[in-house]
Amino acid sequence: MRSLAGCAGCLVFCALFLWVTISAASAEMKPLNPFAAEVAPAGGVQAAPPSAFGAPNAAQQSPGAFGGILGWVLRTQQSLQRDLATGVKSLKGEHAVAGAFMLAALSFIYGVVHAVGPGHGKTIISSYVVANEETVRRGVIISFIAAGLQALTAIALVGILAFALNASGMQINAWSNQLETVSYALIALVGAWLLTTQLIVIFRRWQESRAEAPSGKAAHDHHHVHAEHHHHHHHIHDRVHDHRHDHDRDHHGHHHAEGKACHHIVDARELAGPFSWRKILAVVFSVGIRPCTGAILVLVFALTQGMFWAGVAATLAMAIGTAITVAVLATLALGSREIALRLGGRSGAFANAVWTTCSLGGSALILLFGATLFAASLGPARPF
Amino acid sequence: MSPSELAKCRRVLTAALAVVACSGLAQDARAHPHVWATVRSEILLDDNHQITGIRHAWTFDEFYSAMAVQGLDKNGDGVYSAEELKPLAEVNVNSLKDFDYFTFVHIGDGDNLRLKPPENYSLDYDKGLLTLHFTLPLEKPVDTHKQTVDVDVYDPSFFVAFGFATEAPVKLAGNNVKGCTAEIKKPDPDSEEDAKALSEAFFSQLGPNSNFGSQFAQTVAVKCNDAHL
Repeated sequence: MRSLAGCAGCLVFCALFLWVTISAASAEMKPLNPFAAEVAPAGGVQAAPPSAFGAPNAAQQSPGAFGGILGWVLRTQQSLQRDLATGVKSLKGEHAVAGAFMLAALSFIYGVVHAVGPGHGKTIISSYVVANEETVRRGVIISFIAAGLQALTAIALVGILAFALNASGMQINAWSNQLETVSYALIALVGAWLLTTQLIVIFRRWQESRAEAPSGKAAHDHHHVHAEHHHHHHHIHDRVHDHRHDHDRDHHGHHHAEGKACHHIVDARELAGPFSWRKILAVVFSVGIRPCTGAILVLVFALTQGMFWAGVAATLAMAIGTAITVAVLATLALGSREIALRLGGRSGAFANAVWTTCSLGGSALILLFGATLFAASLGPARPF
Repeated sequence: MSPSELAKCRRVLTAALAVVACSGLAQDARAHPHVWATVRSEILLDDNHQITGIRHAWTFDEFYSAMAVQGLDKNGDGVYSAEELKPLAEVNVNSLKDFDYFTFVHIGDGDNLRLKPPENYSLDYDKGLLTLHFTLPLEKPVDTHKQTVDVDVYDPSFFVAFGFATEAPVKLAGNNVKGCTAEIKKPDPDSEEDAKALSEAFFSQLGPNSNFGSQFAQTVAVKCNDAHL
């Protein structure tokens, strides 16, 4: 269980790092805040007292409103959001340059923290890389493209609707909800597509093994190679095989020292499916067309402050933060698959089981997730 | 494969899946709020110390406020008048019904009492913050003498984080409120609750009917004393 201990250690470290950065950032933010002493609004049943935290004229919830660990996470998120608002406003003050850097840093942290929440494709991307023959490098690239696309969707949405057409917040919300529903539907379709492809491979193999059965056990290995050879050239045999061979010329002479075990590994990795840009683009697009609610809020807020560009910059910085969180989670997922494979040692059947579970499980999870979220997104419109 | 190998295989697979599941599944519902609402409520009492309804004033955070009023300054005078905000108030109040007005009135562990559609609703916008005012009448007034009536305010899906205001979060309103109290129940920062919250976050987050937010319920307990009637 080294993997779990390692993960736990890493998470604790990340949490500590974030906490230190956040407290440092908000501590530095305060002197910049030109509205610090302002009094909260008179709206509501009774006027609120002067803000105790230096937050700009924001309505104050009682600090004890949320208790416990989750409460702490909530309070951190809330204070981050307030700091972001202060950051955007500070750009109008004397310390515009310092404010801009602070805003970028805050947005970045907000992105890192925020991505832990829903709707940033963590589950989808982690499941996808585990289910497919992806490397850590490609996992990172996928996370960054998806986060970038989400940011661009949000910028385009707010830019066109609010900035150009002066649409209302309700209309922006409606559009954002539509995109969300489409995104979930596409995610479900991608999951279904991946799963179907894998099931077809399994079905073919089952058929082949049935066809081979009468030819006797002695000939099994040889036939197996022939029957499957047309698949082999898709593979990147860099990790499981110790040796490399050119498949285009060497189909039929496909004999290894490991014999049967090797074929099984090849079979299972084949189930995971080779790398293809088509698949990656499908995943990235389905995740990326759903704009992040947090980004939309920042953009519209910046717009009302007359600084749309600040919102765009904040959204991009946020996307980098989001991408890092998602990439870390995807890497963790890949790492746990790798550890699972290594623990099996030379056992081909074991590696086979790991690959089969990962690929079928990952695709099924994407399908399940997309379908559930799609169904949920068809529910009644939210008042706020 | 030997039985011990098989057992090891299972353990490893469980661990691998657990990591993937933790990374995403856990929070990938709506476990984090995008809207923060500061609650101030008036408990409406009749002369017999029965609760007839609740008048809410919910002040939203500046991000949501900016979002909500975007494009509504029709005459472009820089002021969002009650008139200009009326369509938004209507949309808000009408769609609140599908979410039970985020208000749950109950006695002990009993069923939630039925509420009537909001009355006297309006929005005001002041210094960048939007406040929604509305009255929620109870279908049948509820007695507060022999029993404590709890009013919970929360969003079960936790998209909106409701919290009571620091100052004067709850008031009693009526001609005869003597002997009555409305106290905010402090959320219990018990670790047990956190554990429950986490396990709920893990396992019951997927459905649209998730009740994740209930652990963050903000509760007012209303009670009246006979002696003062």
